[in-house]
Order: sequence, then structure tokens, then C-alpha cells
Amino acid sequence: MTTLTKPATEATIRNPRSVRRPRTAGEWAFTILNVSAFALFAVVCAYPFYYLIINSVSANDVSALGEVRLFPIGIHFSNYAEVFTLQGLPLAASVSLARTVIGTAATVLASAFLGFMFTQERMWGRSFWYRFTVITMYFSAGLIPIFIIMKGLGLTNNFWVYVLPFIVQPFNIILVKTYVESMPRTLQEAAEMDGASIWQIFWRIYLPNMTPILATVAIFSAVMQWNMFQDTLIYITDQSLYTLQYLLYMFINQASSLASAAQNAGGDLSSIAGAATSQTPTSIRMTVSVIVVLPIIFIYPLFQRFFVKGIMLGAVKG
Amino acid sequence: MFAETPITTKKGKAMKLKRIVAAATATAVVALSLTSCSLFGGTQSNSTAESGPFPEKWDTEITIDVFDGLANQMGVQPGWFAKIVKDKFNMKLNVIAPNVAGGGDTLYNTRVAAGNLGDLIITDQGKQFDELVKGGLIVDMANYYEQMKNAAVFDAAVEKVNDGKDGVYGLPTQVSTIKPTEPSEGLSSTFGPMIRWDLYKQLGYPEIDSLEDLLPVLKQMQDLQPTAANGGKTYGLSLFKDWDGNMMNNAKQPTTFYGYDEMGFVLAKADGSDYQSIVDSDSEYVRALHFFYEANQMGLLDPDSTTQNYDTLFSKFQNGQVLFSPWPWQAQPAFNTEENLAAGQGFMIAPMKDQTIFSYGASVYGGKQIFAIGSKAKDPQRIAAFIDWLYSAEGTYSNNSQTQGAAGPQGLTWDLNSAGEPELSDFGTSALLGDGSAQVPEDWGGGTYKDGASWLNVTTVLPIQVDEATGQPFSYQFWPTYQAATANAVSTDWSAHMKDATSTMDYLQQADQILVAPGSGYVAPADSSEIQTLRNQIKASIVEFSWKMSFASNQSEFDSLLTQMQDTVNGLGYDKVLQVDMDNAKAQNDARIEVAKEFG
Amino acid sequence: MTLPQALNQATALAAEESPVAKKARRSRRERPTGRGRKSFRLFLWIAPLMVLLFVFSYLPLYGWIFSLYDYQPALGLNGSEFVGLQWFQLLFNSPTQLQQIGQVLVNTLVMSFLGIATSILPLIFAVFLNEVRSTRFRNSVQTLTTLPNFISWVLVYVIAFSLFSSSGLVNNVLQDWGLITTPIKFLDTDQGVWLTMLLWSLWKGLGWGAIIYLASISGIDQSLYESAKIDGAGRFQTMWYITIPQLMPTYIVLLMLSIANLLNNGMEQYYVFQNAFNKQYIQVLDLYVYNIGITGNSLSMATAIGMLKSLISVALLITVNVISKRVRGASII
Repeated sequence: MTTLTKPATEATIRNPRSVRRPRTAGEWAFTILNVSAFALFAVVCAYPFYYLIINSVSANDVSALGEVRLFPIGIHFSNYAEVFTLQGLPLAASVSLARTVIGTAATVLASAFLGFMFTQERMWGRSFWYRFTVITMYFSAGLIPIFIIMKGLGLTNNFWVYVLPFIVQPFNIILVKTYVESMPRTLQEAAEMDGASIWQIFWRIYLPNMTPILATVAIFSAVMQWNMFQDTLIYITDQSLYTLQYLLYMFINQASSLASAAQNAGGDLSSIAGAATSQTPTSIRMTVSVIVVLPIIFIYPLFQRFFVKGIMLGAVKG
Repeated sequence: MFAETPITTKKGKAMKLKRIVAAATATAVVALSLTSCSLFGGTQSNSTAESGPFPEKWDTEITIDVFDGLANQMGVQPGWFAKIVKDKFNMKLNVIAPNVAGGGDTLYNTRVAAGNLGDLIITDQGKQFDELVKGGLIVDMANYYEQMKNAAVFDAAVEKVNDGKDGVYGLPTQVSTIKPTEPSEGLSSTFGPMIRWDLYKQLGYPEIDSLEDLLPVLKQMQDLQPTAANGGKTYGLSLFKDWDGNMMNNAKQPTTFYGYDEMGFVLAKADGSDYQSIVDSDSEYVRALHFFYEANQMGLLDPDSTTQNYDTLFSKFQNGQVLFSPWPWQAQPAFNTEENLAAGQGFMIAPMKDQTIFSYGASVYGGKQIFAIGSKAKDPQRIAAFIDWLYSAEGTYSNNSQTQGAAGPQGLTWDLNSAGEPELSDFGTSALLGDGSAQVPEDWGGGTYKDGASWLNVTTVLPIQVDEATGQPFSYQFWPTYQAATANAVSTDWSAHMKDATSTMDYLQQADQILVAPGSGYVAPADSSEIQTLRNQIKASIVEFSWKMSFASNQSEFDSLLTQMQDTVNGLGYDKVLQVDMDNAKAQNDARIEVAKEFG
Repeated sequence: MTLPQALNQATALAAEESPVAKKARRSRRERPTGRGRKSFRLFLWIAPLMVLLFVFSYLPLYGWIFSLYDYQPALGLNGSEFVGLQWFQLLFNSPTQLQQIGQVLVNTLVMSFLGIATSILPLIFAVFLNEVRSTRFRNSVQTLTTLPNFISWVLVYVIAFSLFSSSGLVNNVLQDWGLITTPIKFLDTDQGVWLTMLLWSLWKGLGWGAIIYLASISGIDQSLYESAKIDGAGRFQTMWYITIPQLMPTYIVLLMLSIANLLNNGMEQYYVFQNAFNKQYIQVLDLYVYNIGITGNSLSMATAIGMLKSLISVALLITVNVISKRVRGASII
């Protein structure tokens, strides 16, 4: 229908109006309102994290009372020192890194491929297999049967238990499928006419054009892999396979482990007396949270650049 | 037109389809068969047991999985205790702690379903022990037991534990040769009204006749010191919500001051003279709720109680913001630091005139937990030797749970002084009496003392048991050398006021304010699944109403909530569960009478 | 034609096929194989992944048989007692119990409906954020608003306690300013529990949920905006006629899927905030199941409840799918 307009900066493409029309009072008002609303919400979201940071460097006893709210009091870094010298931390960090990278790559690829394939009307049983996949989001068989199967497959105390079960993720597949459906069909048809196989169509044409949704799936998957500790809890007893999150979970959840021990003690609390009197200070638990979240904050901007308009789509037309 | 060469013939399609179906079925069958053995049956027991004396040393290093229901840490045991175990047994301990892993019995269930709970197992008697034997998950260690000299000292307990089982499957914990009618706790009781002694002194030691009389005293104490050193408000009482189990945990504690302990929903008196249902309008439990209610009316109850967790409360104790605690082992370690004691501040037990504090008698038959050896263990003989060592004097010193007061390894934390009496070394004093952060010398294993302490958190022999080699108990708190060294302003003042008692326990015994429940080692049988489900629903209601009653705005609201609670639990089948609990309580009492007769 | 019509036509054209492709498609259809060729070969490409899914999601369903036994893992299934439908009966035993379950279901449904009602908010968030010109500001806001998602609920409660407890920041400030004399009970009250939980949920999930829509916006064909600009569309008209409709398919699918999740609110958020005073309104189904000791020895009971929930969810999904087919002409799955 049209040819590409003159090469333009992203700003003008996003808001062509800005080059053409002067800003009215109404637009000023809108901009101010819009920006302030977001700024306010961003502060509300960021404050708790800021709270964790200042508490992690504040004197532990003041922090424990919840008094450190705006500025750190009694700055010290020994909490960080203590956490970083936790037994097995470097190894756990590398395990977490490995599972995040490998798991995310596998999930992104599988989700993209499956999302694409499920748009293929010609596929045998497409509708059936799609439903087969999606329905799995709504039922769960329970822990024990899954555990027994994992054990039977040799996946306990095995690194691949971190990757294999997560490769096929219905939610991600749905996202990709919806995205692909919004892409012009001409892409595939043109390629088929040129004799491309389905894999080539996927790999060479669709995949490169799906970057925003791939980035989304990658973020979701990476975060899930990085934060997951329940599988370590159940399947792993070999310390060399502990993930960072699990190590820190054990550290943080001391209080709740004490609670469950107390409930089971049924009256005679002397067995938990030791743990009850050596509680990890709250500020150390906050330190741990900060350490866990920081990598994600650093990686996040890398993904953000994928949320930029794809100019190329227009090139297919005509 | 299209590059692909599709299988267009029907035959081709059918063949392909068949192959796929076959492949899928094969996968499924393989997966199922791998898992079916564990699913449909228990595992086979493995009863090969070498006999003969234990070797002096072992050549190959092994790491054993220790499934420990009491442990509060998870992973490979580090530090000085690990070094001792490595030197003696060439063994490392990989502790698997269900408490830490979370999720209730999840870890236990998954490991058991897979057929391997662990190599060394520390778990509860009763249901778990029974099903482990039945399911073939633990071995019969009768052959090893013959060689276990240290454990054999407590043969009566071993026999009782394995009563009804064909063989020796479990070994007891918390054993001693002390009479069951004697308290098991050591210098400090498990329960007791602990108050800030310095403030009490300032008030001139007002009389406290009964539980409710604590309130005006606490009020005066609170008025004396409305803010703590850190600027936070002080409160007479502060509660927390995360330990609630069968009932509101905090409300059960005052009942122990009168000699009651819980058995399900029953409060049983230590001497068997009374059994109460906790929801009865005139039960001690409701009395405790009313006590909290009054406290709240007087402004003594910390409003954060309803929303705070244990660790927040613990910080408040450390900062001196709470003036009362029902547990000596909480208040004193938290607040009675050297600094505070030097400043004349500390928690000590109050002289409540009519108290008869519940105490757990030394159990001849051992405590709730037992040791067992897993059926998949690679070197069961070594594990048996290790367990035996835990009963020895050396093992007791090294292993016993930290706050119980066992002295630690000889040569590191203590040694015999020139008079032949055990005395804490300088290192021992700083390690045991401080916060445990003292650095252990490298040749003992390095690391801090508290990090290197045994993660097993299990008491084999009670620390108050006397070590024949030294003539003093294993617990350093009983040593005359220790008591001489640690007198301070608070304790001397307290002692002067309390019949010159040398410790909490000493006072209670002198004043006859202690009620010892003879240690019978009774373990209640497991609930049937039906009872358990009912119990879980009922206890949730009881906890909810208990909190509301404590914070009721007036007496009529308190009363109406009480009636509501009673109606609700009755509607949920409370009678059924209560009957079970009553029966168990009476059986427990019978066991206590019997053991008192036989060994007392 | 009017601006809306023009925009609609532009959208339609963008989705149209080229004439060549149209011809190819027609000729495909004319091939003589009845229903249209179904390529088994295409399926083979995804077959291994389907096997993976089968092994991890469907195979464990044999465990549903535990609900008919008094399953004790140590004894295995053979050693456990067969009890038939006992667990299901136990659930509906006494009137008091039914009343409790009734209240729990009310809580669950209310929270789910509130969630559904506010599910449009991430979309709106994305659309308006897109209107901000500065890339730096946009990216910062995006990063910061996703932070709450990474803080576990346990810690959220620690922060909530510090801010809203009787001795917390808010009460201190209010008292210092003389606005109140006694602390307001934010956390241990039964007033407004649903609203508070909703707000916490939104705080935690809004920025994160907007990611999907921001990504989708990036994928919108620029030519649409250009033609709109040419036709003189203002900011709001662009939003209404182009951006939002482009996001609708994703939104509808997610909405329908969340309806099937009506009974699953998750447990952790409600667990950390629960106390005796708000319990009546905060206890959703997942929390109730946890509270009555599911992770303990009542494994079979847990399985029974899990089974019921799964069946209900799948039923809801199918219902929603059918409705979607009738109303929109297209099913969601």
C-alpha cells in the first residue's frame, strides 16, 4: 500500500506528530499527568527495594526494629561479607547461572518453535495437540508421582532436572502463537513459494522477526529459572548442585523452619531452643534478597532494547 | 510448487503413524516400569549385617546422608565437629533437614516414596518409625548392637524402643541413668515466668501470689521504663503468631506454670491429677486467654503481637523491649548478655507463690526421637560405630545441642585443672558464653565455634548425666568452677531473694514449685487419617478464636467469642478428637506411674 | 470515509495476502483430498516435544489413584489401605465444615474476579507508557515497576509490617502529625481485606504483566501509525483505533485462560498476611488446603482436592472456549 517513508529517527517514527504539530495546552497537560503518574507508581514500586538496600547496610539491631526507612543508619557492609562467605556460594552461583542460561535458551527455542508450529493449519492434529499442551496448565498430579517419575528417569541429583521439565511451557507457547498470528501471512507464503522447508521458514524468517516476544519469553524464563528453588529442595541432596536461590532460601527461611519445628515439637520446645536463640538478623535476610535481585536488574536493560519497533516488517509489503 | 515431499498415500501415513505410536508407547512403558517398583510396593529390606568388633579405623572416606528431623541446618557439616568425625570415622555428614527444606513432610514423603530416606536416620518414634520398619527402609542392627558398648549402658531404653519389633531397628535418644522422677532440664527449667529482675527490684519485690498478680507488677515495671535503650516502646507482654499448632502457642505457656502440658487438645497435669479440655470455659487455657485479655485492657500487650513473627519478637527481647517471657531459654540468652548483666539488668524467674512448674522428667526409655540406619546405606557398620560413639563420654561432650550446655571437646573448650576438676578454658569461656563467634584454631578445624557445632541437634545422653571420669555432669553449667566464675550482680541479688538458690531449677526444687512428669518415653499413637483431618480443621478454628479473645474489646465480647469457639469446634467433631486425646493422656499417665514405680 | 473507517481499512489491508499467495492458497485447496491435506510430517517436528510434555505432565497423573487410598509413601501403594471415596466424603461432612468451605470459596472467587476485573490494567499501563517520549524515562519506569515482582512475599510482608504495623511508619507519621491518637490497624483487621490483597497483587504484578503488552506494541506495524498520522489522527484516536485493537488478541487469550484459573489464587501471598483477625476473608482455597495440614500425612486428601480443582479448571476452560467460539467466532484454543 505504501512505500517506506524517508528514513527517520525512532522519535519521529514513534511520534510523527512531534515533527508536524505544535504542542497544545491539552497535550502539555496530558504529558505532565502521564509522566507524573508513572513517576509516582515507579517510586511506589521501587521504594520497597530501596528499603531492602538501606536496611542491608544498616546496623542490624536498628534495622530489626523496622526503624530504617528513608536513610541507612550505622552503615556497615559486614552483612554482605557474611553472605558472600556462605559455604558453597560461588558454586551455587555458577549452578544458577548455568541453569538460567541453558534453561532459558532451551525454553525460548522450544516455545518459539511450538508457537510457530501451532499456527500451521496443515499440521496433523494441530488443534488436538495444542489443546493437549494448553490444558497441562490447569492440572497437577501432585508431588510424589512427579518425584517418582523423576527418580525413575534418573533425574534426581542430576543437573538436567533443572532444564528438561521446563522446556515445554504452555504459557510461553500461547504468547508466541498469538504474536505469530498477528504477523502477516505473506511472510510464510512468500517463503513457501520459494521452496523453503518448514524449518527454514521458522528459523530464517519468523524467528528473526519475533524478537520482542522472544525477549519477553526469555525474560520470563530467565527469571523463573533464576528464582526457582523448589526443585532443588525436592530433587537434589548433592550439595554441588545447589542453586544460589536455594542456598539463600535456606538462609532466609530460618524463621519459618523454626516455626514448623515448633509446631511439631508438641510442647517440649527444648529441642528448638538452640535455633530459637540464634536467629539470623532481619537485615541479613534483606541482604540476601538484594543479592538475588541485583543480577536481574543488571540484565534487564539488555532485554529492553528488543522492545523497539521492528521497522523491517513494512519492507515485506509491496 | 512446494519443496517438501509429503507422504500422501494412505499407507505411508498409516505406517508412520504406527511407528510414532509405537515409539510413544515404548517410552511410556519404560518410564512406567522404572517407576512401578517404587510405586506399587515398599522397598525390599536389606538385612546383611556384618558381625564382629568395629574396626579401629576406616580407610575409605565416605559421605553419608543424614536425614535428621531435628536439624536446623542443611548441607555438609563444617568446622570442628566435622573434623572430629572425619578423624575418627573418615566420614563426612551430609545433613538433610526437613525443617529447613520446608513444606512439612514433603521431603520425608518424597524420599520414602523413592525408597531411600538416608543412611543415618533420626526420626520420631510412633508412626514414622513403624512404617519405616514395615516398609523395609531401615535395617535390623542387632548384630552391630552387640558391639555397641556405649549404647548398651542404656539397654532398658533400647529394649523399650524396639518393643514389638523383631530385632533392633532403633536406638533411643535423650537417655540417662538418672531417675525418671528427676527433672531432665539442667539448671533452667523449660517453662517459667521470667521477668526483668532489675525492674522488679526497683519496685521493691512486690508479692506475686498467682498468675493474675503478675499483671499489676508488670504494669508498674512498664511505667518505670516506658522506653527501652533503643528508643522503642516497652511492653509487659509480646506475643507472636508463627508457632501456633494445636492451639495458640503463646496461650499454652502460662498453663505450664501450673503443671500442665498438652496432649492434643487436652491439658494433662504432670502428676495425673487433672485432665482438661482446652475449650472448657474453666480450663487453664481459657484462663491464659483471659490473662492476655486483661493484659491488653491494661495496655500491657504489644499490639504488634497479632502480626509479628518470632524473629521480630526475638529482636525485641534483645533490645529490652519486652519485660516478660514464659521461657528461660528465650529470655536469658537473648537479654542476659555480659553487657546487660554488668549493668545490672537481666531476666530471672519470678517467685510466683502458687506455681508448680511442669518439668520433663529424665526419661529412662529415651525421648521421642530415635536413630536408625537406612537400608540402602553403604557402610552400615561404620554408621553403627558412629552412633555408638555418640553415646560415649567423648561423643556426648562434642555432640550435644549447644544450648543444653554440654561442654564441647576436651582440650578445646575445657580441660581438667590442677585440682583435677573440669574447668572451662579461656577459649571455652569466650565460645560458650559469648555468641559463639569465637574462632576455632585451625588444627581443630577452623571456623567459628557455633558454625562448627554439631548440626545433628540431637541429644544422645542428657548433659546433666554425670561423667564418671570427672565426677561432674557433662554440662559445664553445673561445674563449681563455672558457677564461681559467672556470678554477677543480677544473679547474686536474685539468689539472695530466692532462698540462696544457685539456679532456677535449684530454687524451684527448694520451694517445691516444680512438678516433674516422670520420664516415661511415652509416644502417642498416630492419629487415624480421619482424626487427623478433623484435628487440622479444629485447631485452625481454635487458634483463630484464641487470638480474637485475647484482643477482645470487652468482657462480653470475650465471652461471646468463647461460646462461638465452643460451638464451632463441636460442630466440627471435637468430641471425637477429644476422646482420642483423653485416652492418650491417660495412657501416658499410666506409663509415667509405671516407670516411676520401677525406676524411681 | 471517516477516520475510524480509514484506520480499520488500513488494518485490514495490512493483514491481507498478496495476490500471488492468494492464488497459491486457492490451488492448494483444489487438491483432491477431501478435508484438505494434513501434514503428518509437520507433526513429527514437534513430536519429541510432545513426548517430553507427556512424560512430565500427563504421566504423573497416575498419582490420582492415591486419592482412593490412605496412601502412606513408606508402605507404597500395595501396603496402603484402600478407602474408596472416603476423602471426598470427608470434605463435605459436617455443616460447620460446609460453611467454612463456603466462605473459602467466596474468598477465592472474589479475589479471582477482582483479578479479572483489573486485568486490563497492565494493558492500559503499557499503552500509556508508550506515549511517553523519553526512552530513558520509559526504560527506567519499566525496570523499576518490575522490581516488586522479584521480591518474595515473605519479604513483602517484612516490609509491609515495617510500614503498616501498629508501630510502623505510617502510624508513626500519622500520630506525629496529630491526625490520629491510636494506631490504625492496617494488617490485623477484617475490614477491606479483599481490597488490600488486590492492591498488593497489583503492586507486585502490574509492571511485570505490562511486559507482554509492551513487547506486542513493539511489534505493531508502523505503517498503521503512519497512515493514521496522514489522516490526521490525534493521540487518543491512535491509541483507541490502532494500539488497543492490536493488543486485544493477546489480552483476550490471557483473559480467557485466567478464567479457567478461577480457583487457583496461589497461596504464598495470603499465607504471609494471614492472622486470626483477617483469616475469615483472606483464606482462599489454596491457603485453606495448606492450613488444614495438606503437606502432612493427609497426602491422599491433598490429592483428592487437587484432582477436584483440576477437573473444575479444565471444565471452566472448555466452557470459556465454547463461549468464545460462539461470541467471537474463534476459539481460544
